Amino acid sequence: MVSRADICFEIDMGTTQQCSLAISSQSAGLSYRKIKMAAPIVGFPRAAFIRGCLQLRWGTTRLSPNTVGFSTFSRRKYGWNAHVEPTIDWTTLTTVVQQHVKSLNWGHRVQLKDKNVDYLNAKGSLLDAHTVRMLSANGKEKTVTASNIVLAVGGRPKYPDIPGAMEYAITSDDLFMLEKPPGKTLVIGASYVSLECAGFLTGLGFDTTVMIRSIPLRGFDRQMADLVTDHMEGSGTRFLRQHVPVAIDKTDSGQLQVTWRDGNGQEGGSMFDTVMMAVGRFANTGTLGLDTVGVEWYSESGKVIGRDENPEQSSVPHIFAIGDILHGRPELTPVAIKAGRLLAHRLFANTHEHMDYDKVPTTVFIPLEYGSVGLSEEAALERFGSDDVEVYHAFYKPLEYYIPERDASQCYIKAVCKRDGDQEMVGLHFLGPNAGEVTQGFAVALRSGLTYQEMVSSVGIHPTCAEEVVKMGITKRSGLDPTVTGC
Amino acid sequence: MAPIAKSFDYLVIGGGSGGLASARRAAEFGAKCAIIEKARLGGTCVNVGCVPKKVMWNTAVHAEYLQDHKDYGFDVNGTTTFSWKTIKDKRDAYIKNLNGIYKSNLDKSHVEAIVGDAKFVSERCVEVDGNKYTAEHILIATGGRPVFPNTPGYVLRTFDSMISSELTEELQHIGINLMKQTQVSKVEKAADGRLTVFTNNGEISEVDTLLWAIGRVPNIEIGLDKVGVELDARGNIKVDEYQNTSAKGIYALGDVCGKALLTPVAIAAGRKLAHRVFNSEDTKLDYSNIPTVVFSHPPIGTVGLTEEEAVTKYGKDNIRMYSARFTPMYHAVTERKTKTVMKMICLLPEEKIVGIHMMGIGCDEMLQGFSVAVKMGATKADFDSTVAIHPTSSEELVTMR
Repeated sequence: MVSRADICFEIDMGTTQQCSLAISSQSAGLSYRKIKMAAPIVGFPRAAFIRGCLQLRWGTTRLSPNTVGFSTFSRRKYGWNAHVEPTIDWTTLTTVVQQHVKSLNWGHRVQLKDKNVDYLNAKGSLLDAHTVRMLSANGKEKTVTASNIVLAVGGRPKYPDIPGAMEYAITSDDLFMLEKPPGKTLVIGASYVSLECAGFLTGLGFDTTVMIRSIPLRGFDRQMADLVTDHMEGSGTRFLRQHVPVAIDKTDSGQLQVTWRDGNGQEGGSMFDTVMMAVGRFANTGTLGLDTVGVEWYSESGKVIGRDENPEQSSVPHIFAIGDILHGRPELTPVAIKAGRLLAHRLFANTHEHMDYDKVPTTVFIPLEYGSVGLSEEAALERFGSDDVEVYHAFYKPLEYYIPERDASQCYIKAVCKRDGDQEMVGLHFLGPNAGEVTQGFAVALRSGLTYQEMVSSVGIHPTCAEEVVKMGITKRSGLDPTVTGC
Repeated sequence: MAPIAKSFDYLVIGGGSGGLASARRAAEFGAKCAIIEKARLGGTCVNVGCVPKKVMWNTAVHAEYLQDHKDYGFDVNGTTTFSWKTIKDKRDAYIKNLNGIYKSNLDKSHVEAIVGDAKFVSERCVEVDGNKYTAEHILIATGGRPVFPNTPGYVLRTFDSMISSELTEELQHIGINLMKQTQVSKVEKAADGRLTVFTNNGEISEVDTLLWAIGRVPNIEIGLDKVGVELDARGNIKVDEYQNTSAKGIYALGDVCGKALLTPVAIAAGRKLAHRVFNSEDTKLDYSNIPTVVFSHPPIGTVGLTEEEAVTKYGKDNIRMYSARFTPMYHAVTERKTKTVMKMICLLPEEKIVGIHMMGIGCDEMLQGFSVAVKMGATKADFDSTVAIHPTSSEELVTMR
C-alpha cells in the first residue's frame, strides 16, 4: 500500500544479463524475467530517503485531527464524558510512527529480495553514459555498467538562504524524529507540506504559526486554497501573510528568535521553540553527474527534463527519470509508482503504454481534507473562456458536525464543467471530511469522460458527505446561494 | 366546521423522502400540489431512519476511537462515561430542526401540507378527517414500517456472500453474541420489568431491551380496494418502470413499492415522476447499479451485482473477480484492529465492472464516486489507469491485481 520509487539503477552485468530495479516495493521486478541486479542509491542519511515520504505523509494523514483530534474534542458533545482532558504524549506518538515506518522499510527490503532485485546500499553517480560509480558508507568504490539507467533519487527540502536557517531550523524530514515535543512552532512555507504539518500540530495542541510569502498552495485552485487556510485559521493556526524570514537566532534559553519582514517592509520578530522550513523541495540530482553524460536538467530545480512524447526519457535515450526529479510532473507517490511500473513494462515486457499525467487526483491532508482531480477553476477559464465554463458548487454540512455544533463554513464542493451539451466535467474539488476516500472514485469517472448530466442522474448514498457531490445543482453563474439545506 | 372539498393538480399521500421530492418538483412546473402526512415531515429517513441511525453510528465511532487514543499517544487518565440522555436530546433536537426545514421548504414551494390520515374514496378522491381532496394525479408514497413476525435467515442475506461472512466475523470479533439459526418462540416480562426471550437455542434472560429488526412492510391501509391498485405477492404496491400503478392517474414510489428501500431512490423516482407527468418528459429512474452503504462497524459499501447474481446472469466463465484484503493504515499503531475487504466483479471480455463490494473504514464515503464510474460502464482498465490517491483505502480499488 505504501511505497515509492526513490532510486532506480539498472545495471548490465555483462552481455547476457540485464537488471532492473524499481524501488517501489510493489513494482520491484514484478513482471520482469530478466531481473538480476539492482543498485539503489542511498541518499543522505542512509535509508532516510525511503522514510521521507512514508513518514511525512503517513504521519500527517493518520494523525490528522480529523481522525483523532476531532473525536477527542467533539466526543463530549456526543455524550461521552472524559473526566480528564487528554494530552498528547509526544514520545509515544513519535515512537509508533518510527516503528511503523521501520516496518515499511523492512517490507521493502523483503520484497526486493523476493523479486531477486539486488539492493546495494551506496551513493551512485554517472561516470559515463553506461557506467555508474558506487560509493559506500565505508568509503569503498565500485563501478558497474548498465544498458538502461533509471534515476529516481527524489527530492530534499530546501532551506532559504538566511542566517541561522541551516543551523537551527528543521524540515519535515526531522519532525517525527524530534525527541522533545515541538512546542511553539513556526512553519515557514505555503506548500501542502507546510499546511499539513501546521494542521496536525495545531490539532495536537501546539501553538502553531504559518509564514507565507505570497499565496497558499500555489498550483492548486485559488478559491479552494483560501478555504483551506480559512479553516486552519478558524481552528487556531496563526498566519503571517506576505512575510519573509530574515534571520533565525538561538537565544540563551534555547528558544529561537525569528526576525522577519512583512509586506510593507516592516521588520518584526518573535520567539519559537521550533522553526520548520517547508519552502519547497529541490531534486537531489546535484551529485549524480548529469552534466558528465549530457542529461539535460533545469538549473533552478535540479529536475531532469523529459521528452514530450516519452516523458520519462531524458536527453540521453537509455537514461530515464521518474518521480519527484522529473520536471513538470506531479510530485506524488502514486505517480512515481505508476510511471516506474509502466516504464519497466515498456523496457522489458514489450508494451507501449505511457504514463498519463493528466487528471491525476490528489488530496491535501490538512485537518479538513481537500481532494481534487482535473483543472482548477482558473485553469479551466483560461483554457476554455468564461462563456464556455459552468461551475456547479455547494456549501454543505456533514451530519457529523451537527451534534458537536462544529463550524462547516469551509465544507465546500465545486465541479468545473464545460458549458455545452451534457457538460463534460473537467475538474472536481471537494473540501470536507474524508476527501481522500471520496475523491478516488470520482477521479475514475472524470477520466472516463464524466459529464454533469451523468453525475446528477446518479443516485446518492445517504447519509454521506460524498452524496453532496452528485446533488449539486446551483451554478456560480446564477448567483444563487449554494448552501445545501435540509437532509 | 363544514367539511373541506378541495381540488389539486397533484395530491401526494405521504410526506417522506419520495413524496416531498415529487411534490416540490411538480410545484416547480406550475402544478397545484398538496401533500398529506399524518405524522412528522421527512418520513422514515428523517425521523426514525437514516438520520438518527447515522447520529448513533457517529456516536459509536467515538466509542471505537476512544479505545485507540492511548495507542496514538494521548494520555487519557481516568474513566470515560457515556450519557444516553445527552446524545438523545441532541439527536432529537437535530431531527426537530429538520422537520421545521421540511415544512418551510414546502411553504416556499407553495405546496399545501395537509395533516391527517388519508384514505381513498374513489380513483380521483382522497378523504382526510372528513375532508375530501381530488386530483387528476395522485401519488402513493406512504413508505413502510417495521414488523414483528418470525423470519429465518442469516446476516445480510441479500448481500454478496463475502460481505455477509465478513460482517458476521466482525460482529463476533467485537464481542457481540451472534446466535445463528435461532428463532424466538416467546417473550415474557418479569416483575422487575426485564424480559426473558425463549428461543430454539435456549433462553436469554434479563433483557432490558428487545429490538426487532426483521423486515418491514408497506403502509397500504389507505383504501386501495376502492381504487383497484394491485399489490404484489408480498403486499407491496405493483408499479411499472414509470411508477404507474394499475389504476390510471395513481402512482406509487419509495418503500411502499418494496424495491430499493433507500431515501435517494425515492427522491430520484419522485422527481422523475414529476418531470414526466408535469413537464411532459419521457423519463424514468434507472434502478440498476444503485449504491448502498450499511453503517456497520466498519461500514459496508456495495453497488451492482453480487458474485452469485453475476454468475447466474452471465455464467462463471464470463466473469472475473478481483479482491483485496488488508488492515487499514489507521490501525498501524492501534491494538484494536479491523479489516478492510474489497471485491470487484468484472464481465469479460472488456472487464466491465458489474459489482463492487467492500467493508472497511472509509467505505461509506468511498463508494459514491466509484458507483458513478460503474454506472458509466467503467472497465477494470479505466480503474487501473487512474492514479491512486495516497495514503487512502480507496486507492486499493484502482490498484487491484
